[in-house]
Amino acid sequence: MKKSMIAAAAFLLLAGCTADGNKPEERKESVQKVESGEAAASSPTALTPPDQLKEESLGILPVSIEIPAIGVDAPVENVGELENGQMGVPENIDGVGWFEPGTKPGDRGNAVMAGHVDSKTGPAVFYKLDKLKPGDEVILKDKSDTVRTFVVTGKKSFPRKKAPVEDIFGFSYQSNLNLITCTGEFNRKARTHEERLVVYTELKK
Amino acid sequence: MNMKKSLVAIPLSLSLLIPTAGAVSAHGHGGSHSGNHAAAGSLEVSNKAVDLRAALDALLSEHAYLAVVTMQKGIDGSGDFDAAAGALNQNTEDLSKAVASVYGEEGGAAFKEIWSSHIGYFVDYVKATGAKDEEGKKKAMAELDKYRVEQAAFLDKATESRLKAKELEEGLKVHVNQLVWAFDNYVAGDFEKTYDSVRESVHHMYGVGKGLSWAITDQFPQNFDNKSVDTPAADLRADLNHLLSEHAALAILAMQKGADGAKDFDAAAGALSENTDDLSAAIASVYGEEGGAAFKEIWSSHIGYFVDYVKAAGANDEEGKKKAIAELDEYRVEQAKFLETATEGRLKAADLEAGLKMHVDELLKAFDSYVAKDYATTYPTVREAYAHMFEVGKGLSTAIVDQHPDKFAGQMPGDMPKTGMGGMSEQNSSKEIVMGSIIALALAGLLSALIIRRKSMN
Repeated sequence: MKKSMIAAAAFLLLAGCTADGNKPEERKESVQKVESGEAAASSPTALTPPDQLKEESLGILPVSIEIPAIGVDAPVENVGELENGQMGVPENIDGVGWFEPGTKPGDRGNAVMAGHVDSKTGPAVFYKLDKLKPGDEVILKDKSDTVRTFVVTGKKSFPRKKAPVEDIFGFSYQSNLNLITCTGEFNRKARTHEERLVVYTELKK
Repeated sequence: MNMKKSLVAIPLSLSLLIPTAGAVSAHGHGGSHSGNHAAAGSLEVSNKAVDLRAALDALLSEHAYLAVVTMQKGIDGSGDFDAAAGALNQNTEDLSKAVASVYGEEGGAAFKEIWSSHIGYFVDYVKATGAKDEEGKKKAMAELDKYRVEQAAFLDKATESRLKAKELEEGLKVHVNQLVWAFDNYVAGDFEKTYDSVRESVHHMYGVGKGLSWAITDQFPQNFDNKSVDTPAADLRADLNHLLSEHAALAILAMQKGADGAKDFDAAAGALSENTDDLSAAIASVYGEEGGAAFKEIWSSHIGYFVDYVKAAGANDEEGKKKAIAELDEYRVEQAKFLETATEGRLKAADLEAGLKMHVDELLKAFDSYVAKDYATTYPTVREAYAHMFEVGKGLSTAIVDQHPDKFAGQMPGDMPKTGMGGMSEQNSSKEIVMGSIIALALAGLLSALIIRRKSMN
């Protein structure tokens, strides 16, 4: 709903002027006060538009992710929310899941991606995520190879039930990308790690 | 106008259109999951946070609109220039009060000084344009560049860097460019570009309103009941607020241009027509293509009757004016019935008719007073007409969200993902066991060696 409305609005804003059959004729008796009226009456002067006339949407639909610092080069799949409320995870153990109902990477807000730290038998795509340092780059591409590069700004671990979900997934005036994986002790009973690691990155402009 | 003055401090509790607007809050914790869902409240169209967003959207977008109008009136030397500028200043007052309600009197005053300065530079730009003073125009642009830095620094500091100066400077650059572009093209007689930029400049402010309201609610969550401005329901309200208020704004401007026989009348009317297309598309996105088309037909009819009224006024045709008003009365009934049916009675026809009467009356009052050169009446009425549409937007979005809750589910999960299967941890564990065994064996070996040694010593 929201997306389609905004898309419609954005599209129509770009569309040209539509004809309206119901316009009154210009009333000739009225005084044209525009100082440059004569210039206007001749041909419109073509002005050079300034470069920043619109805030372009930088959001992309990511299909791949590269993190050179830790040797990640993986496909991205869309994930949503599971029945139990958890963010979904990629089916491919070596793939990365983008939380598709949320922010598009590049748009204002917090886009979120998650990858496994390990499989049942060994390391997975985000095994070395905790090694990332501020300044390291995360490179996303969409299917037409449009690139959005994000720069690591920090990282933090949270107990698995106490992560600030609204801060991680919510709005921001910046264009952020937050990467999530598991960390801490593996709790055999709960069959999950005790902590979640979030690596924070922001769009490089 | 009262609403604008107190809006931040006292969120609106009164909806002019829908007395039962609050009912939707009862669904506040909707969503597909139980438990500690982080996005709880995502179906609320109105709460302290979303109301703040709407209030800032109203003032910021009205600023862009009134700035455009004032600049046009300024270069034309129109009789209503002072009144338009006065309305723009009143908007600044309201915006500064809103800022003060969050950041204190001093913050509000500091904001007002900076904000007013950029309006002054726009005025300088208009004056320099009128005097064909290229140097003066350049100087005004340079001042606007300085303003951007100052304004961005203020907001960065106030929001404790939730809004970053660099991003704000970029956003303000867009705002300045859009207004200047709309004005330059107006002066050059390229009215298509003028009105494209007018629409963009109004639209741009909704991004600013969302960003600012987000920063404030993030900074003072307790003052906003920990509610979020960023929900699909809040976005719907903002979208409808935008298109409905822009309708009123463009209708008023097009009617003035029509009365003046201005060269930009066609472009202004064209922009109004585009707005109708957007609004119909929004309706279609909820009620289907047929619903959108039916809406468009009814909605367009009332614009046509306004045009009839303008024509009749120009021809001093009192009968024609009466006929147009009678048509508008019929329109109200039809429009109200459409919306009552579409929302399955969530919006009541009687309330809708009252709301639409207010809209029609405000537009006619703004127009009649303009024609009568009673500009002191025109511009406060323009502001009322603009503000009124935010009530309509609130009412309509409330009904739509209540009717289609599934379309407005939260955009965030309730919990973090489970991104590990323990393979590496188990490996670590087994390593530890092995290591432990080795140490144990070593100790055992050491022990036996000691024992042997002691034996041998004995």
